[in-house]
Amino acid sequence: MSAFLSIEGVGMRFGGLQALSDVSFTVEKGAVVGLIGPNGSGKTTLMNVISGVLKPTSGRVMFANRAIGSVPTYQVCKLGIGRTFQIVKPFTGLTVRENVAVGAMYGRTGNGRTTRAAFERAQELCEVVHLAHVADRPASDLTIPDRKRLEVAKALALDPDVLLLDEVMAGLNASEVDAALDLLRSLTARGVTLIVVEHLMKAIMSVSTTIVVLAEGKKIAEGAPHEVVSSHAVVEAYLGSRFAARQAQLAEMKREAEEALRVEPHGDRP
Amino acid sequence: MISLAGITGSRPALIAVMVMMVALLGIPAVHNGYVEIVFRNILMYAALAYGWNLLGGYAGYVSFGQVAFFGIGTYCSALLNTHGITNIGAGIALAIVVNALVAIVLGIPILRLRGHYFGIATLGLSLAIQDLVANIDALGGTGGLALKQVDDAHFFVYYYAMWAVAAACLLGTWLVARSKLGYAFVAIRENEDAAVVLGVSPTRYKVIAWAIAGAMAGAAGAVYAPANGFIDPAGAFEVDNNVFPIVMSLLGGIGTVAGPFVGALLLAGVNEVLQRFFVKIHTLFFGAMIVLVVMFLPRGIVALIGMRGGWRGFRRSLGAYRV
Repeated sequence: MSAFLSIEGVGMRFGGLQALSDVSFTVEKGAVVGLIGPNGSGKTTLMNVISGVLKPTSGRVMFANRAIGSVPTYQVCKLGIGRTFQIVKPFTGLTVRENVAVGAMYGRTGNGRTTRAAFERAQELCEVVHLAHVADRPASDLTIPDRKRLEVAKALALDPDVLLLDEVMAGLNASEVDAALDLLRSLTARGVTLIVVEHLMKAIMSVSTTIVVLAEGKKIAEGAPHEVVSSHAVVEAYLGSRFAARQAQLAEMKREAEEALRVEPHGDRP
Repeated sequence: MISLAGITGSRPALIAVMVMMVALLGIPAVHNGYVEIVFRNILMYAALAYGWNLLGGYAGYVSFGQVAFFGIGTYCSALLNTHGITNIGAGIALAIVVNALVAIVLGIPILRLRGHYFGIATLGLSLAIQDLVANIDALGGTGGLALKQVDDAHFFVYYYAMWAVAAACLLGTWLVARSKLGYAFVAIRENEDAAVVLGVSPTRYKVIAWAIAGAMAGAAGAVYAPANGFIDPAGAFEVDNNVFPIVMSLLGGIGTVAGPFVGALLLAGVNEVLQRFFVKIHTLFFGAMIVLVVMFLPRGIVALIGMRGGWRGFRRSLGAYRV
């Protein structure tokens, strides 16, 4: 059986810069894949390739038996892939509700939907992301956290099977992050598969089922969150090889010390 | 009830414009000479401005080639006229069909360009079409074509034909703006990259906007040709007709339904008056007016009438230039 969404040997070259090289992993239906890595590791580039905004220079992304790169970008959402932009792109001249309605008109379920029905759908989604109170305001009036929410609402208006979230929590305070995490969990509960790029480790570790780690355009680790954080390669990528070596050395010393303690007789025990 | 007023612009201004349109039906009864011609030109400019506004104001693609479609329209109707078909409706229909086809064929390559590049391409296009027409003998070459006109007693038909074209452009813009099409145009204007991932095919909707824009300008040209009685490449592709619709849309309010009409009425009216009293320097006033509008009323006059923050924005822009 072929995977739900598979990234197969994807490479992306911009002139002399190899932004991604030979990245492969598969995403199961209903999974939450956390995509992490240091700055410039190629996370956003990979998001752009999966959403069809960029055509990979090698390899392919397969979804619903189609290679994403062979579909015009505007049709990718019609296959069931929605995305947000790390640098938010609201239609500032339209109201919040109108912004969301555009997705409801032209997205996957947009055909045959009247403008009125699109507005009703948009209103529902504004409520889902807690923007109902500003639905009639121009998008230019929104604060940054609200603009991030608007990005999510626009992507949800496409009724996606897979939702790519590119740093929707950046710049949010602790309680806003909690609200965002609740939103993510409610999306998974509705069967949406998520690919999440996030710098907030605590947030992404708590919500992801799988973590994929990129560094310098290569996949260096993949696995359950607790496995990935203890991976030597990941520590090295984030904190440098000296730190990783030192940490490994410390871990070794700790293990040796524990070993030594274990053979000591416990004289005071009965 | 969900309000759709945002995308059509100020509602009071729209109602005022519709009332004025109805009032304009009475012009030939008031005066059937000079005044009728002045107002017929206002209606013509309104139609041109509506066409420009759909692509430039709604979809955000500034065209400097709107006159190309006007010129094609005049020649469509002139060709029919010189071959014995003097029916204005037939001329309008041919102009609409030909312009929509031209817009689709040329738009698919040209509308892949973004921003300034598109503007320059459209300017080149209108100049190229003018030269092309001037070199076709069947179209009269540079010498032009003389058209058969109705007799003086029925001259008002040209006025009403132009009124109908302008009214159709106004109504068409209102319907398009409120439809899904209008939201696709505005999404492209606001952020093309974001529009694409929401399923809007930019090339398709830009071509549609351009085809409607071309049809509007062509319809106006198709009435202008017989009303004027004579057309030549220099007149049909007059550079003023390229600039006026842009300035009128800006003055009235781009991306609104009322704006182009308000702009056409004011600018063509003011231009007419200035031309009478300051024959030599009327363009100076015209130029100054454009500068003032861009500085102080970037959202146009319509923004002052019933649009939220309109006056506040005007006062703020006045304040910004205080010394």
